[in-house]
Amino acid sequence: MTDQTAPEISNNHANAGYWTRVARDGQKMGFWFVLPTLLLLVFIVVFPLLMQLYLSFTWWTPLEGIPWYQAWEVFNWGENYWYMVTDPRFWGALWRTVLIMIVAVPAQFFLGMALAYLFIDQFPGRKLFYSIMLTPMMIVPAVVGLMFFLLFQGTGPINDHLGLPPEFSCLTDVNRAMISVIIADIWQWTPLMFLILLAGMLGVPSDQLLAARLLGGSNWQNFFKIILPRMKTVIIIALVLRAVECFKIFDLVFIMTNGGPGVQTETISVFLYNQTFGELEWAYVATMGLSILIALSILAMKGLSYMAKK
Amino acid sequence: MSSIQIQNVTKRFGDFTAVDDISIDIEEGEFVALLGPSGCGKTTTMNMIAGLEDVTEGAIRFDGQDLSRIRIQDRNIGFVFQNYAIFTHLSVYKNLSYGLEVKKVDRSEIDRRVRAMADRMSITHRLDQPASSLSVNEMQKLAIGRSAIVEPRIFLLDEPLSNLDAGFRAYMRAELKVLQHEFGQTMIYVTHDQIEAMSLADKIAIIDQGKLMQYGAPLDIYNDPQNRFVANFVGSPRMNLVDGELREERGELHLMLHGGAEIPLAGKVRADFTSDARVHSGSFGIRPQDIYFGDRRGPTDITMHGKVEVLERVGPKRLAYLQVQETMFLAFDDHAQLEVGDDVPFFLPSDASMAFDLDSGRRLGGR
Amino acid sequence: MALKYFFVLLACAVVLYPLLWMVTMAFKPHPEWTTVAGLTWFPENPTLQNFEFIFFGRAEGLVVSLDRTIVGPLIASLVTSIMGTLVAVVCGTLSSYAVVRFGLAQSLPLSVLQLRLFPPLAVMIPVMVMWSFLGAVDTWWGLSLIYGIVTLPFAFWLMKTFFEEVPVEIEDAARVAGCSYWRVFYRITLPIVKPGLATCALFVFILNWSDYLLALLLTQRDWVTLPVYMATLTSAMGGQMYGMKAALGVIAAIPPVIFGLMIQKHLVRGLTFGALKQ
Repeated sequence: MTDQTAPEISNNHANAGYWTRVARDGQKMGFWFVLPTLLLLVFIVVFPLLMQLYLSFTWWTPLEGIPWYQAWEVFNWGENYWYMVTDPRFWGALWRTVLIMIVAVPAQFFLGMALAYLFIDQFPGRKLFYSIMLTPMMIVPAVVGLMFFLLFQGTGPINDHLGLPPEFSCLTDVNRAMISVIIADIWQWTPLMFLILLAGMLGVPSDQLLAARLLGGSNWQNFFKIILPRMKTVIIIALVLRAVECFKIFDLVFIMTNGGPGVQTETISVFLYNQTFGELEWAYVATMGLSILIALSILAMKGLSYMAKK
Repeated sequence: MSSIQIQNVTKRFGDFTAVDDISIDIEEGEFVALLGPSGCGKTTTMNMIAGLEDVTEGAIRFDGQDLSRIRIQDRNIGFVFQNYAIFTHLSVYKNLSYGLEVKKVDRSEIDRRVRAMADRMSITHRLDQPASSLSVNEMQKLAIGRSAIVEPRIFLLDEPLSNLDAGFRAYMRAELKVLQHEFGQTMIYVTHDQIEAMSLADKIAIIDQGKLMQYGAPLDIYNDPQNRFVANFVGSPRMNLVDGELREERGELHLMLHGGAEIPLAGKVRADFTSDARVHSGSFGIRPQDIYFGDRRGPTDITMHGKVEVLERVGPKRLAYLQVQETMFLAFDDHAQLEVGDDVPFFLPSDASMAFDLDSGRRLGGR
Repeated sequence: MALKYFFVLLACAVVLYPLLWMVTMAFKPHPEWTTVAGLTWFPENPTLQNFEFIFFGRAEGLVVSLDRTIVGPLIASLVTSIMGTLVAVVCGTLSSYAVVRFGLAQSLPLSVLQLRLFPPLAVMIPVMVMWSFLGAVDTWWGLSLIYGIVTLPFAFWLMKTFFEEVPVEIEDAARVAGCSYWRVFYRITLPIVKPGLATCALFVFILNWSDYLLALLLTQRDWVTLPVYMATLTSAMGGQMYGMKAALGVIAAIPPVIFGLMIQKHLVRGLTFGALKQ
């Protein structure tokens, strides 16, 4: 920071002292600047993690009146972990979460890509249409859940279009509840893909695209040979972002179907919620939470080192 | 290789007319420069030729064939962008092969042609490297090579030399001329640099504010500009152009300059000014090279008196700034005896002087 | 071109379809809520009854009444979102500046990012235990604190990109002129990134306002936020009060849409943690 000034001034002893002192002041201020964030991190990461680990080895639940720090009284030698591994409801919820992810995220990706391609050049009304396209992702997810809850009611417009009787509701139908949830997720988050992919597409220099066309490449060839390779990073970012968020899916499902009918749409977050407030099995929830945490961390680390290699 | 006919082409963007009724005929194998100040419409003209912009009115024909219905990718036009538009995510090789690959040319044929072109452009040692690692000079070569490899029917270059450093620019200027002969292609070259245009082109189209000011061979344009704009734009140092009112007194015709001085008109330039009786205000033009000092050489040469304000070295010669009242004349000091502050007579040969109508800018008379 | 408009209009129609149903529902009287008596897209008897009901707990012509109105949750949402935003923006701004300018805490960016990786429910048990231990459950500060923490990564990364755009020469110049580090930060750098700071605050506010899960876990009654209130209305009324819920949905949806459109230009940067710019 003081590169240019330091050599000149170092002849003068008093000044040199001044500048080191100033630099030290900077470090000192930097320390105070980082401190709140560091404290929050310790507060929310280190301590809870230890507690989660501790609780996961016990039968502790808030029901019995044992304070959490005395949970060792009901220590159970990792039985929770064994229970989790053999719990079909846990694996079912995990599978459904992954299912939503592998259906919704690619659908959002392809739709977003197609939409981005439509918006790549200027046309009258583009700004308005662009703003409209972005609205879904700005709406509170819980409200989106409500919107689709209303749409898919037995007495809602979807049934009316499809000619289904009002006694029948997609949200309580074994086969259609999942599809309804996925449709809602696609509706809300395709705009995010669209937004990110469009930014990436517009980042491809337009004169290079023109040059490719003038060299005789068809739109199709240019898309795959010029646009797509240049968007690689953007595509990875968009997919990872969506996949991570999709794994957390809760609000939509909880408000639309509450995991039902039965457990047909119970995702991992909904399952954890039901275990927390329905069954009050807090220790078991801690076990599953910690396991998911570890699994995701390993995945993230693998992903990061893979990206670093590339 | 193609001939190009640009016929009464107009381009409007909303209310703004970027190109106004331009007609240019370009013969097969010709090297034509579109020359003009920035924003004059030359790049728009070129974009229309390439098909990047639609024509509002008029037509552009290649060998008599209207291309407006043909898609850009099927036009087979070589285009070198001002910033080269190199595909920076591909290797040099892939850049060169792109135009052939998309046409599904045979692999071995592609390889042969890519290597030949790389050799011609002396970038063979760079073939496998990413194009983003090239220097600006190499990018320039690659851009030309990439367009040339598909053997386009015409070649368009948009200010291709403006990003290069001075030394390489001079080299590339010569190289372009050689390449044009080798490829034998019709080339159109957009530039705002009149020296570049003069030294490279077979023909120059000078454009100003969307209008074609003059189209012809470089020397014709230099010696015989058809209007005040061309006279002013072409030539270095610029032509002396002084404006004033024509006044006849006792049989003598004078140009009363706006700065207070007057030029007694004589000989050919007097005849030029009087060739159109409607003209009352005119512009008198003479190139600095044509002004001389010392003794009067011709009977119709015009004598002026001025004060030497500045002497500027231009190569081996000296350029004198001569102040006549409020008007400044530039002249090369062929006499080599001028000193700053001198009051000297100087002479304007009437044969070399040009007359323009001040209102329309039109040249009066002619050679 | 015609084909392009066809697809664009189709996409917009798909986007607007569910929205339209909810928005018009908010202005429909009871008989039009369902399609039993036929589908009506636009209210035939437009009414503000639904809004009246949720604001005052009763409305003319309705026999049911509400024991708590929207006012409490609206205030709760506003207070916790704003306070959470304040926590996130202040901490994020200060620490990202230290990381960018002083090269401190090089591992901070990634560890902060990790906060966004996990489903909140996977880490909420200890947080809930801690919150009840601290007496933070169902308080404005408890919810604000957790909001500040979960949106901190966005604030941190967003501000990081804005600080990176400030040329270090400007700060050096001021420092050479004798300004202290604090003064340089406060008087030079902060004013430069002011638009970025505003963007960041709006962006984080939207995220906090949109939360449903955390409020569901950490509030019970006093500081219930709008989305939670909306959902409880469902259960209390047996899912019959479509019009009122739609009205609630409209009110909850408006601020983020407005703010979102205001910061449209920076959305990509915010959503991708500064990895991409538009």
